[in-house]
Amino acid sequence: MGKIKILVGYASCGIAAGAGKVYETLLDIRNNEHADFELKKTGCIGMCFREPLIEVIDESGAYLYGGVDEARTMEIYTKHVKLDEPVKEYLVKTDLFETGDENFFRRQIKIALRNCGVIDPEQIAEYIETGGYSAIGKILIENLSQEQVIQMVMDSGLRGRGGGGFSTGLKWRFAYNSPGKDKYVICNADEGDPGAFMDRSLLEGDPHAVIEGMIIGAYCIGANEGVIYCRAEYPLAIKRLNIAIEQAREKGFLGKNIFGKENFHFDMYVKEGAGAFVCGEETALIASIEGERGMPRRRPPFPAVSGLYKKPTNINNVETWANVPWIISNGPEKYAQYGTEKSKGTKVFALAGKINNGGLVEVPMGITIKDIIFELGGGIQGGKQFKAVQLGGPSGGCIPSYLSNTIVDYDSVNATGAIMGSGGMVVMDETTCMVDMAKFFLDFTQKESCGKCTFCRIGTKRMLEILVRITEGKGKEEDIAVLEELSQKIKDNSLCGLGQTAPNPVLTTLKYFRDEYIAHIVEKRCPAKVCKPLLTYTVIPEKCTGCTVCAKNCPTNCISGARKEIHFIDQEACIKCGMCFTKCKFDAIHIE
Amino acid sequence: MNNINVVLNGKPVVGIEGESILDLAKRFGYEIPTLCHDPRLEPFSSCFVCVVHVEKMRGMQPSCSTKIAEGMVIDTESEEVQKSRKSALDLLLSNHYADCVAPCKMTCPAGVDVQGYISLIEKGLYSEAIGLIKQTNPLPAICGRVCVRPCEVACRRNLLDENTGVGIDYLKRFAADKDLESSDHYKPNVAPSTGKKIAIIGGGPGGLSAAYFLQQKGHQCDIYEAAPAPGGWLRYGIPEYRLPNDLIDSEIETITELGVNIFCNVKLGENLSYKDLRDTYDATVITIGSQKGTLVGVEGDDAENVFSGIDFLRNMEITKQVYDFKGKTVAVVGGGNTAMDCCRTSIRCGADKVYVIYRRTEKEMPANPIEIHESKLEGVEYLFLTNPTKVNKDENGRLKSVTCVTMELGEPDASGRRRPVPKEGSEHDIELDFLLAAIGQKTDATFIDDINEFAKNGSFKLNKWGDVDANPNTFETGIPGVFSAGDCVSGPATVIEAIYQARIASQSCHQYLTGQPIVNEHFEFISKRDHFKEQKKDDYLPLFKKQLREEMPVLDADKRMNFVEVELGYSNAEVAKHETGRCLECGCAAYYTCDLKKYATEYKAEQKHYSGDFKEYHVDFSHPFIEIDNNKCILCGRCIRICREVVGANALGFVNRGFDTYVAPSMGQSLTETSCESCGMCISTCPTAAISENKFFKPGPVQTETFTTTCSYCSVGCTLEYHHVKGFLTGVEGAGGLINKDGNICRMPRFGYSLFNNQERITKPILKKDGKFVEISLPEALDLIQSKITSVQPDENVFFAGARLTNEELYLVQKFARTAAGTNNVTSFHYLERGKGYHFNTTDNVPFEQIGGAKRIILFGSEINRENAVAGFMVQQAKHKKGALLEVITTNEEHRTAHKADKVTRISSYHAFIQAVNHYLISNNKQNMLYINDRTSGFADYSSKLLKTNYHTLLEKAGVSQIALEEFANNFNDVHESVLIYSEKHIDAYTASEIAALGMITGKSGKTSAGIIALKESANSQGVIDMGICPKTGPGSVSLNNAEYIQRLQQQWNINALPEIKDYSLVEQMKNYRIKNLFIFGEDPVGCAVDQKETEDMLFNSGFVCVQDVFMTPTAKAADLVLPMNLPFEEGGSYTNTQKFIQSFEKKIQAGTTSSNIGILNGLMKTFGLKTYQEYADVNDEIIAVLPQKKSKPEFIFTSEDRHLRRFNHGCDGIRQMYCQFFNSAFQK
Repeated sequence: MGKIKILVGYASCGIAAGAGKVYETLLDIRNNEHADFELKKTGCIGMCFREPLIEVIDESGAYLYGGVDEARTMEIYTKHVKLDEPVKEYLVKTDLFETGDENFFRRQIKIALRNCGVIDPEQIAEYIETGGYSAIGKILIENLSQEQVIQMVMDSGLRGRGGGGFSTGLKWRFAYNSPGKDKYVICNADEGDPGAFMDRSLLEGDPHAVIEGMIIGAYCIGANEGVIYCRAEYPLAIKRLNIAIEQAREKGFLGKNIFGKENFHFDMYVKEGAGAFVCGEETALIASIEGERGMPRRRPPFPAVSGLYKKPTNINNVETWANVPWIISNGPEKYAQYGTEKSKGTKVFALAGKINNGGLVEVPMGITIKDIIFELGGGIQGGKQFKAVQLGGPSGGCIPSYLSNTIVDYDSVNATGAIMGSGGMVVMDETTCMVDMAKFFLDFTQKESCGKCTFCRIGTKRMLEILVRITEGKGKEEDIAVLEELSQKIKDNSLCGLGQTAPNPVLTTLKYFRDEYIAHIVEKRCPAKVCKPLLTYTVIPEKCTGCTVCAKNCPTNCISGARKEIHFIDQEACIKCGMCFTKCKFDAIHIE
Repeated sequence: MNNINVVLNGKPVVGIEGESILDLAKRFGYEIPTLCHDPRLEPFSSCFVCVVHVEKMRGMQPSCSTKIAEGMVIDTESEEVQKSRKSALDLLLSNHYADCVAPCKMTCPAGVDVQGYISLIEKGLYSEAIGLIKQTNPLPAICGRVCVRPCEVACRRNLLDENTGVGIDYLKRFAADKDLESSDHYKPNVAPSTGKKIAIIGGGPGGLSAAYFLQQKGHQCDIYEAAPAPGGWLRYGIPEYRLPNDLIDSEIETITELGVNIFCNVKLGENLSYKDLRDTYDATVITIGSQKGTLVGVEGDDAENVFSGIDFLRNMEITKQVYDFKGKTVAVVGGGNTAMDCCRTSIRCGADKVYVIYRRTEKEMPANPIEIHESKLEGVEYLFLTNPTKVNKDENGRLKSVTCVTMELGEPDASGRRRPVPKEGSEHDIELDFLLAAIGQKTDATFIDDINEFAKNGSFKLNKWGDVDANPNTFETGIPGVFSAGDCVSGPATVIEAIYQARIASQSCHQYLTGQPIVNEHFEFISKRDHFKEQKKDDYLPLFKKQLREEMPVLDADKRMNFVEVELGYSNAEVAKHETGRCLECGCAAYYTCDLKKYATEYKAEQKHYSGDFKEYHVDFSHPFIEIDNNKCILCGRCIRICREVVGANALGFVNRGFDTYVAPSMGQSLTETSCESCGMCISTCPTAAISENKFFKPGPVQTETFTTTCSYCSVGCTLEYHHVKGFLTGVEGAGGLINKDGNICRMPRFGYSLFNNQERITKPILKKDGKFVEISLPEALDLIQSKITSVQPDENVFFAGARLTNEELYLVQKFARTAAGTNNVTSFHYLERGKGYHFNTTDNVPFEQIGGAKRIILFGSEINRENAVAGFMVQQAKHKKGALLEVITTNEEHRTAHKADKVTRISSYHAFIQAVNHYLISNNKQNMLYINDRTSGFADYSSKLLKTNYHTLLEKAGVSQIALEEFANNFNDVHESVLIYSEKHIDAYTASEIAALGMITGKSGKTSAGIIALKESANSQGVIDMGICPKTGPGSVSLNNAEYIQRLQQQWNINALPEIKDYSLVEQMKNYRIKNLFIFGEDPVGCAVDQKETEDMLFNSGFVCVQDVFMTPTAKAADLVLPMNLPFEEGGSYTNTQKFIQSFEKKIQAGTTSSNIGILNGLMKTFGLKTYQEYADVNDEIIAVLPQKKSKPEFIFTSEDRHLRRFNHGCDGIRQMYCQFFNSAFQK
C-alpha cells in the first residue's frame, strides 16, 4: 500500500477559515500516533465556500473534504486513513461517487490554476515535478529565437488578463522591438478590486508559474531584471514569492547564464506596494517602483518604449504570466482550442457576493455568465432572485439578469457596458440596491483616485455627492442628467484607466436599472429596501405579541408599548438602524 | 527634425516633429488655456483645461502632452472643446475656497478698489491712492466725509472682536486731503480733444462725475447748474460742519482743471432750452438729482413753520442766513442722514430742544451710527417708536404741536425691517415751534415739456415713481444721445450710487459719441468664500491680532455751536498707516495675474455649477518668504515639479488621495524644516496665489509699472523684471534674458528687492564733524577730496572700487586714481591680494547654455544652489532631463549641495587634488599635446615644475585615495562632455590657476559642453578685473609693464606718464601707516570682514576715509566723508558677468539722491581739470579705445601651494551683506 497523502488547502482563504488548526491537528496525529501519511500544504483549491479543505489521496483516488474542523479532521483520520472508510458526509469531491458539488468542477479548465491546490507552493521540486521550468528549458535548450517564442504567444491568442485584454504577444513584440540595452519585465500583482482574489490565490498557490512566465517574457524582450509589484496586504503571497525566487535562483533558473544560455541573465525581486488601487495602472505602478508617488502619466510613451527608469518595459498581470509556461509547454494551438474567436483560452474568476459557491474558478472563454453563476456557483444564496452581476470591479459595470446569457469574452462583455476586468464577479440579488451599489464603487474609486486629473478628482466626488443625496432621499430630478453628463466628461478627460472607467458602475446601473434611480428620486423609495433614510419601520399589529424585545434593543428608545400590548415606533426618533427588524421573532416589523 | 503635416482648425499646417499640440497651436496663433503646464517643466496633464479634439482619438486630448503626428486632424476651438474646458474650470472652482476680491470693493456701489488704495496709503503713496480711487470715484475728499460706507459694514474686520470695520472712509479722506494739499496733486491724463461736446445738466455728484469721466476721453463737457454754485446736495443738503464748502470747491476744481466748464444759475426748461443743447452739443447727460422735499404727509402739514428738511438746509445755504431757533423747540421727522443733518443743524441754529421723531427703533435707523452718536453728544433727543398723525395749528395757521402715536414693531416688511404698527390709544401731543420733515425727496423734472418739444427720434419719460425713465443697465433715456444718472433716475439714494451711475452713463455716452454699440456687458469671474459658507468670526479670530480702530478726532461737543467741521481728520501719516494695518487683505494678491481667474472669465465659468463639499485649509505662513494657501491650490503640481525638476530640492509633494489630495512640504510641518532652498521658483510657477510671496508690506494688489534690468547680486547676470509703484518696489520676476532665458531667478533678487525700498538711503554728502555727520554740498565734498589728495604724496592715497559698480564707474575710478591722484594704488577689497589666478580663469569657460549638454558635472567645492542658484538650476536640469551625472568634490563636511549629487567625494585640499590630477595625467602621458601646443603657452615650464613634486605627497595632502583620484582624472579626461564648476568663494586663486591648467591639459577648455566654469562672487567681479581695478593691470587686465599698452593709455588719457608700478603690498602699506587717504567706492570692508578687528585696524590707520555707498554701511558709519550712491537701475551702465557677457542696462527709476554716480565721478575729474563725460556711452567709447586688440594665449602657471586669502565675505558688497543678514534673520523670527 502506497503512502497516504493529505493535502491541506493553505491559502489565505483556508487559513482564514481555520486551516491552521486543521493542519496542526494532522501534525499532532502524525507525531503522537506515529501515523504514516504524507502531510503537505497546498494553495487555493478554489472552493472557498467549503473551506477549510483537506484532500486525502490514497490508492483508490483523491477525496476532497470540505468544511473540516479539528473534530472532523480527527474523524476523517480515524475512519478514512486508519480504517479506509471515507467519511461521505464531509466529502465534496471524489471520483467514486457524486457528492453534489461536482458542478463546481465540471466545466472548469485549469490552466493558470493548474497547480493550485495540487502542489506545495513552497517546494520548487513539486513545481518541477509537474513539468515546471520545462517551458523555459525547452526554449533555451531548443534554442528558440525571441521572435519564435513571441509568435507562439501571439498564436495562442492570449490577451492581457488584467482587464485590458491587449494581445500579450503584440505587447511583447513592442518591447522586443524597442531599442535599448536595459529592459524590464514587471508582474502586476497589485490586485485591488473589492471582491477580487484571483492573483492572490495564484501567487499563494503557484508562485513558480508566474516566475517562469516572467523568465520567458524576459527572454523574449531582452530584459535582465524583473519586478513583481505586489500589494503589501498579501503577506503570504509575498512570502511564498520570495521563497520561490530564492529557490529558482538556487536552481539556476534566475541569475546569470540561465540554463547555460550565454548572455541570458535575468533576476527579479518583489516590490511591495502600499495598496493604492491606482498603482495597478501601468505608469503609476512604474512610478511607485521608482519610489515616486503612484501617479499615472500620459501615454504615449508607452512602457514598452519608456517604462521603468525610462527603459523599455513589459508589464503583465499575474494570470497572464502564469498562462505563459503552459502555452509554451503544450503549444499555442492547444491553448487556442479553448475560448471564442477573439478571446482564446481560459479566464479565472473570483465568485463573490450573494452566490452559494463563492470561490475561485477557471473557465474557458465563451461560457455564459448564467452557467458560471448557476452551474459552478450553485445559484443565489437563500433562493433569492438573481438581479445582476458586477464584472470588473469599480472599473467595470453590472450586467442585469436578463443579459445573463452573455458569454464571457472581451467583446461580448464590453458590449454590455461592463468590462471583463481582472476577474472579479460580484453577484447581486433582489436585496441589492443598485444605486447603493453604484455609490459603493464610486466611493471606492473616488477615494482611490490619485488626485491628479481635475475630472477624476473633483468630478467623481461630485457624482458621489449626488448618489449620496439620492440614497438619502434628497435627489433632484435633474440629478440623473448631471450624473450622465459628468460621467461622460470624466471618461473623456482622465489620463488613466481609473478615471476613464470610474463612471462605469453608474452608467451601467443607469442603463439597466434607471427605474431604481427614479424610485429613489421621485418616489423617495428604495425598492431593494437598502437605503435607510428612505425606509420606514412599522409594527404589524396583527403579528406583534408585545414581547418588548424590539423596544429593549432599540438604541434610541423610540419603540413604546407595554408588555403584551402592541408596540409603536416613533418615526421622528427612529434612526432606521433595523435592529427591531432583526430582533423581532414574529416578523412583526414591516419595512417600507 | 522632420516636418509633420497636420490639419489645425480646418487648415493644413506644417508642424515640427516632437512638438506638442499646445506649442503648435501657439505658433499658429491659437491660444489654448492651460493651468498645469509651464514650458520650463515636463508636461503633466492634470488640469484638463488645455484639451483639444483630435479626430479618431477617444475623449479629449490634453494638448500639452499630446505630440503631433502625421495626418492628425486637430480642433482647438470647437464648442465641444470649449464646453469641456468650462467644465474643468467649473470643477476646479467648486473647490476653490478663496476670494478674488475683498468684500469692501465688492460692496461699494462704485466698485472702488479699497484694498488697493489702503495698500498705497500704507506706503505713503497718497497721490497714487487717489489716482486709484479716481478711476471709479472722482470725489474722494467729499466721499471721505459723507459716504454712507457700505464697505465698512462689509469689512471682515467687523468679525473680529473690535466690532468695527477698518476706517476706510477716514483713510480715504486722509489721502484725499493730503493729495489736495500737495503742490502736485493727482491729475488724470486727458485724451486729445475729440471735438465732441457734451452738456451735463446738474452739477451735483452725478454731473461732476460724468464730466470728470467724459472730459478724460477728450470730449468737452459743460455743466449747467441751476443753483448759484455747483455741488448739488453736497453743497445745499449737507451742512458745512460735515462738509465744508471750500473743500467742495477744491475738489470741484480737480474736475474743472481738466477743462470742464460749469455754468451756474442756468436751469433747463427755464433759462435754457433743450433746443439750444441739441444744436450745440453732441450729447446730453441729465443729472438733476432729486430736489423736491416731501412733507410729513398728515393733516395740517401745510402749517407755517413746517418745512421739508432739505428745503430747510438748502434755504440756509442759498441765503447764507442761519435760522434763529433760539429758545425754540424743533422736531425732525425721519431716521436717515438728512434727519441727522437737520437735527444737528437745528442745534447749531440755537434750538432749545431738538427731537428726532422716528417710527422704529435706533437699530432700524438708516443714518450712519456715528451721526446718531454725535447728535446725541450735541444734545438731540430721540423719540423712537413714535409717528406723527396730525399737525396742529394755532389760530394763525402756525404750527402749535404735533399729535403722535406710539408704535410697536410687528412682522418684518419687504425691507427686512420689522414693520411698525400703531398702539391703540397712544395718541399724545408734542408742543413744537418747528417741524422738519426728513422723510423723502422727489425728482422735479420741470423741463420735460421743453425737452420733448425739441427732441428728435424719441421722447423723455418719467416712470411711475416720477423719476427719469432710463435703461438701468446703460442709463440711456428715450432720446438718443441723452443719458441720465443719479437720484433723478434711482430716486433719493447715496452719493456713491450717483457716482457709479454717472460712470456707466459716461461710458454709454462715450460709446454713443464714438459710434460704438451702447452696451454694459462685462463679465469678470469673481471667486467668493461666501459662495461656500457664511464667513464667521471663528474663521478669522485666530489669524489676526486685535487692533482697535483709530478713531476720528472731533471738535469738543461744547465747541460746536457753529458750522466748523466737526471731524478733524487723522492727525498724521503714522495714524493712517497704523489703521491700514487693520486691513485683513481679503482680496487675492494674484488678482491681476491669476490664470485661473483669467480663464474662468474667458470661459464664463461658474463657481456654483458643481457645488458640493469643499476643502478648507489654514494658510501656512511659517516660511518667512513663501506663503502656502492650499485653499487656492488647483493641484496642478507645478510647484512640486519645478522644485524637483529645476531646483532639485524636492521640498514639496502631494499628500493623500482623491478629493483629499493637497500639496504640502515634504514630511515636515513647515517648508523651513525641509530641503527648501527658499528660491521662490514655486512662486514663479503657481498659476494662482496658492504659493505666493509672503510680503513684508501690503501688496494691495495694485497695478504696477515694470522695468527690466540686470541683477546686481551675483555674477550670473540674470535679467530681472521689477514691479513698482512710483519707485516703491513691489516684486521681482525673472524676465528671460540673455542668461536666464527661461526666466528663472533665485532667492537673492526675488526677495532682496524689498531692501531697496529702505527709507534710510544716503541721499546727500555728509561729513563727520565732532563725531556727528552733517550734510554738506557736493562741491564742498569734492573740494575736500581734492585738498586731501593734493596735500599728501600720490602714493599715500588708495582707491577701492567694488564689484557692484558698473564697468563705467570702475573705469572712471581707476582712471581718476591713475591720472588725477597719480597713483596705481587702486584695487578692490573684494580681490585684495587674492592673486592672478582669478584674472584669466573665466577665459574659454563653458557657456551656461551648454551645461545642458554635459554628461558629467563636477561641482568642485561650489555650493552652486546657494551662491549662483540660476546656474545651479541649469545643472539640475541637465541632471533631470538628460541624466547627467553630478559629482560633488568638497573639503566641507556639510556641503549644502551634496544631497543632490550622485557622488560625493570628501577631500582635504582642493589645490593638492587638482595638482595630483594634473600630475597623474601628465606623468601618464595623457595630456592633449595637440591642444596644448596649438592653443596655450608655458606648458614645458609648468610640467617640469609639477613633475618635480611628489605625487604621493600630493595625494596625501588632497586626502584622496590613488584609485579615487585616478578614476576621477580618467573620467574627466575620457568623458568628453565633462564640466567642472567652481566658485571663487571656495577656491583660492592658486587653485584656480591649476584648474585652468587642467582644462588645458585635457584640451577641454573652449570645447562644446566641456571644460571649466568659474563662478565669481559679485555682479561685476569680472568688471573689477577687466576695468583695471588692480595696482598692476589696467583696463583689459593688461599688465602696466606693456609698453605698447602704456602708450595707448597715455594717448587716450592725455597724460605724459603713468604712475610708477610699486611692488609693495597695499595691506602692509595700510598697516604701516603709509596711507593717508582712503577712498572706497561701493564696498563695505567693515561689514563684510572675516576678521573685523584686523580690518578696522588696517582701514582706520589712515587719516581720512571717504566712502560712497547706497546705505549707511558699517564702513560708511566709520568714515569721515560719505557720498550718496545710486542703485544700478537708478543710474544705468553695464556689468560683465562671470562668463564675460557684457550686459547694459538703463536708468529706470529716479533715485532720491541729489546726484548721480557719474555726476560725482565727473565732479572729481573736473576738480582736477580732467575730461568729463556726458553719459555712459562716452565712457564706453573710451574703454573700447584703450582695450587690447588681440587676445593672448592662455598660460600655464605653476603654483607651489594653496593661498586662501579670503578677507571679506559677500564680495565685500554691503548690499549683499545686508541681504544675507535680512534673509537669515527672517528665519530666526
